[in-house]
Amino acid sequence: MSAQHKMKDSIPLFVPHSFRTTESNKTGSWRFLRPRYDEKTAPCSAACPAGEDIGRIEMLTARGLFKEAWETILKENPLPAACGRVCLRPCEKECNRREFDEGIGIRTMERFLADTAARYELKPSLERLSSQNRKMAVVGAGPAGLAAAYFLTRLGYGCDVFESAPEPGGVLRYGIPAYRLPVGVLRAEIEQICGTGFNLYCQKPVTKAFLEEIQSEYDAVFLGCGRSRGVALHIAGEEAGGVEDGLQFLQKVNRGEAPSFFNAQVAVIGGGNTAVDAARTVLRLGGRPLLVYRRRREDMPAFEEEISMALEEGVQLLELWSPLRIEGKGGQYLLTLQQMKTVDTSPGERARVEPVNPQTTQELRVLHVIKAVGLEAAEEWQNPPVAQEGVLLLTNSVIVRGSPVLAYGGDLASRIKSVSHAVASGKEAAIALDILFHKGPDHVLPGLETCRVGNGSSLSMEVYMRGPRCARNRHVVTFSEINTDHFQFAPKVAQPRLLREERVSSFAEIDLRISAGLAMKEAERCFNCGLCNQCDNCRLYCPDLAVVRDNGSGGRSIDYDYCKGCGICVVECPRNAMSLEKEAPPQSRRDRREEKL
Amino acid sequence: MLEIRFHGRGGQGAVVATILLAKAFFRAGYYVQSFPLFGVERRGAPVEAYLRLDREEILIRTNSYTPDHVVVLDTTLLEAIDVTRGLKPTGWILLNAPAPPADSARFSNFRLAYVDATEIALRHELGTRTHPIVNTAMMGAFARVLGAPPMDAVEGAIEEEIPEKLEVNIEAAREAYERVSGITL
Amino acid sequence: MKRVLEGSHSVAEAVRLAKAEVIAAYPITPQTHIVERLSDFCADGSLNARYLRVESEHSAMAALIGASSAGVRTFTATSSQGLALMHEVLHWASGARLPIVLAEVNRALAPGWNIWTDQTDSLAQRDTGWIQLYCETGQEVLDTTLQAFRLAENVSLPVMVVLDAFYLSHTYEPVDVPDQEQVDRFLPPFTPRFMLDTERPCAFNQMAPPDVYMEMRRSIQEGMEEALGRFAEMEDEFKKIFGRSYGAVEPIACEDAEIILVTSGTMSSTCRQLVKELRSRGEKVGILKIKLFRPFPAESIRRRLKTARKAAVIDRNFSFGSGGIFAGEVKAALCDIPERPVVFSFIAGLGGRDVTVGDLENIYMQTKNHDVPQQESIWTGLRPASAPAPDLKR
Repeated sequence: MSAQHKMKDSIPLFVPHSFRTTESNKTGSWRFLRPRYDEKTAPCSAACPAGEDIGRIEMLTARGLFKEAWETILKENPLPAACGRVCLRPCEKECNRREFDEGIGIRTMERFLADTAARYELKPSLERLSSQNRKMAVVGAGPAGLAAAYFLTRLGYGCDVFESAPEPGGVLRYGIPAYRLPVGVLRAEIEQICGTGFNLYCQKPVTKAFLEEIQSEYDAVFLGCGRSRGVALHIAGEEAGGVEDGLQFLQKVNRGEAPSFFNAQVAVIGGGNTAVDAARTVLRLGGRPLLVYRRRREDMPAFEEEISMALEEGVQLLELWSPLRIEGKGGQYLLTLQQMKTVDTSPGERARVEPVNPQTTQELRVLHVIKAVGLEAAEEWQNPPVAQEGVLLLTNSVIVRGSPVLAYGGDLASRIKSVSHAVASGKEAAIALDILFHKGPDHVLPGLETCRVGNGSSLSMEVYMRGPRCARNRHVVTFSEINTDHFQFAPKVAQPRLLREERVSSFAEIDLRISAGLAMKEAERCFNCGLCNQCDNCRLYCPDLAVVRDNGSGGRSIDYDYCKGCGICVVECPRNAMSLEKEAPPQSRRDRREEKL
Repeated sequence: MLEIRFHGRGGQGAVVATILLAKAFFRAGYYVQSFPLFGVERRGAPVEAYLRLDREEILIRTNSYTPDHVVVLDTTLLEAIDVTRGLKPTGWILLNAPAPPADSARFSNFRLAYVDATEIALRHELGTRTHPIVNTAMMGAFARVLGAPPMDAVEGAIEEEIPEKLEVNIEAAREAYERVSGITL
Repeated sequence: MKRVLEGSHSVAEAVRLAKAEVIAAYPITPQTHIVERLSDFCADGSLNARYLRVESEHSAMAALIGASSAGVRTFTATSSQGLALMHEVLHWASGARLPIVLAEVNRALAPGWNIWTDQTDSLAQRDTGWIQLYCETGQEVLDTTLQAFRLAENVSLPVMVVLDAFYLSHTYEPVDVPDQEQVDRFLPPFTPRFMLDTERPCAFNQMAPPDVYMEMRRSIQEGMEEALGRFAEMEDEFKKIFGRSYGAVEPIACEDAEIILVTSGTMSSTCRQLVKELRSRGEKVGILKIKLFRPFPAESIRRRLKTARKAAVIDRNFSFGSGGIFAGEVKAALCDIPERPVVFSFIAGLGGRDVTVGDLENIYMQTKNHDVPQQESIWTGLRPASAPAPDLKR
């Protein structure tokens, strides 16, 4: 290993050096554990009803690849502008980063991406299968119907969508106030979805008779009629003239027929999102809304954030009072309420209540009464059938075999009534129908199983269509599997909002757009659980230089000639995108010399 | 051996003035040694720089304590510090001033000369309006007061050190040479 | 041509004339003027070198180790804490037998924070395998820097050119700057004995197990021993071309001297002034100026000192728990000869405290007036305990 240099007139020089290489030692033969690239599922993705690949969306956003990030959403959800505003955010509740500092503002990011795409009038390039010789009808252009038409179209089917209202959007268009979802944003998004290539017919109310009429023209009919009728209170005086239904009230306002309340006291009965939306709308129209709810604030089904903003804006809340009767008196209403008490308060459940004993009542004089205690189908035939032969009860949809096949989706078929669950039902029905037509009824359930995201119930169209991300492991990454040594505390981006004073005086959207810089900063906070984001830790930490950069899809490969199986790469992967497994017996090793991601 | 001490303010050019004068004397056949006050400097704070010159090789390498003459680039220093510290009796004090100071009497152990180098520098646009560079003018005045170094050595030093604004600097030195006045105390 | 040059600029001029090819440095007072001037040279094209602005002195030396291993002439400069930070890689440079040249401007180590001259920083590196040359004048600084490249490349060891802060680094004095043609004759282009070559990859200075390491160390010492003789040969050559030489040690009026002041650096100059004055008063005093500290010219020192009655070693440095570092080395060199002078060890001028002719005369008188030293190390010029502490506001 050493050399003695001798030169004329030179002193002896002893400098150790060696021209031999240590590469002849194939240290990989020592290995009994084998690391490999193994992308897994992020908890947010598993929790997203639409199964969005959120870790990847944030990764692309962090790199400023906004179009690609937006397209990644569109693979699973055609409505990011709407969901980015009104989704109930099950993803954010599961974010692993919540255990580190604060979770990622996933909805804020989704909205940013959708708005950015709209601003630059981007056109997505999405995979679409070649056309199928089958035709589908979709009843109702609400979120479920639009999603069903969108996914069916991408699977190659021809689609006709029938909508009774003058404009598409369903509850998004007529049920949600503009301060949460501006009409212009929704219109642009629906226009974008229609570009997928289905036909939309508005002001086309679908009746039982019409359904029978079109039976022969379509191979399947998707029914996403939604809940458009308010549930009755079943109290005396409810039918009195002028007692308004909450959803109808909101629809009226969204149609532009806004009444003015001139400082009038308005009672809104109920505790759901419709009730809160109605109360806040009343406030914006100059009234003094009073929410009357039979349970406690914490039991209200409305989103907590919406409730607290409503209270902040000046909506009054009367908890544990239930209406007994409504009497119309000289242009006013006398509302008789009875006091309730909780009898069972298990955590995580809505409290059960009953009237206090002896009965305690109070009377309330108000100028208007709006009731919003629940919604149901407008007509009985819109409801899916119960379990029976030929009926497939899926998570968010129901398939009834026959000619044509009937698929029920949206709020009438989902347990949870939300926009993202409506999207999920449209996707589920589309995949189920595709399997049904291609492989037959027995394959529907196992087929759906193969495209689940993680351990949850949501489905991935990307996986169904065998896209590049279909190989990811179903294992859902937990916080304990994140190597937090590689992350630094960073505050979550604060959602900018209008001031209270600005909010109550108009229907202007409350949540403001964030800048691209902020969005990228927030996206950088994402752990990218289970997803390789090319951080290069595996290569940098490998003591044997056995991780090699290459031009493959994963960007790296492991040279198993020298990988000793020490597992450092797996430990230092910040996001559990690698796995360490038992080495195969020696005889089969030769075939697996070079494994690429 | 002669020792000359320069007083100025950080950034005013006292060190460069000393180097210029060293180079001029060197051209005139002297051994020279010039150095700043060893330490840290701050713009605007009082600074000192020193020059040793001799016809023989200068051996000592120590600080300077008893200068033969002093040159003061900024008369506001007269209030701040004692410019006569260690100054040998009958040594020259050369001031950059339009007129002798009112209390010139306190320098009666020494010889006093003054020249309005600031005015000369401003007129020749040496430095900036806020920070005129007076060292070439002061060197001209010094050459007159001490009778050395000769003006051709002064001009040679300027040429070596400040080739960019050669003409005006030489002009400034000559003008100061002509205008410097000694006063009898 | 003779020019009035600052000491720092004398170093830079020599590096320019030596055609260094890679310079890596990190600024530190009082060294900064050296590399400032060199970066000017690189910018204006008068020196065709790669100037690397690195993030620390450790990195500066590490970068030069790389460059020198690749076979080019290299240079850096530093002081005090910067040299201390370099310590680890100083060993590496000598162990790898790389002829790197470093200008070290002596500055006191902190705390207390002090930018003034003190030799402890460079002397603390005496065991790193670097040749050390101490300078007295601006001319010597320039000449020694040129010599350093030749010596380093000749014995394959790095060389430190050491100069006092301010007394040399910031002092302008006339210096003869030689012609390029003369320098080229003295210092041919660097021909590396061994260099890294991408065409023929190898491991370099890798693991040296016990069966190799001792021989390797011995080889470095052989280089050091060889350097003593090579230094003299090189100086002869230098004198032929430039007409100047300095010697590993320089005896001044030592022949009949009863007391010899042993000095280094700029203090030697002031001593020359003193000796001139003392001789004119009939005192039999001489000076032994030590220029070469590593390798230590023990034999020359013995030869020059053995005839004197007393030697007063003046150290502008201190090794805590021991004493003046030059004094320790001189005593060790003398201890094996039967006829040797009594050695007095004086500590003076630490942290830039001025050492005047008067201070040196006191040292001489103390030596003359005592048969044996009163103390192991005699600290001179200390403020009496009763004196008020000076104002530290500046």
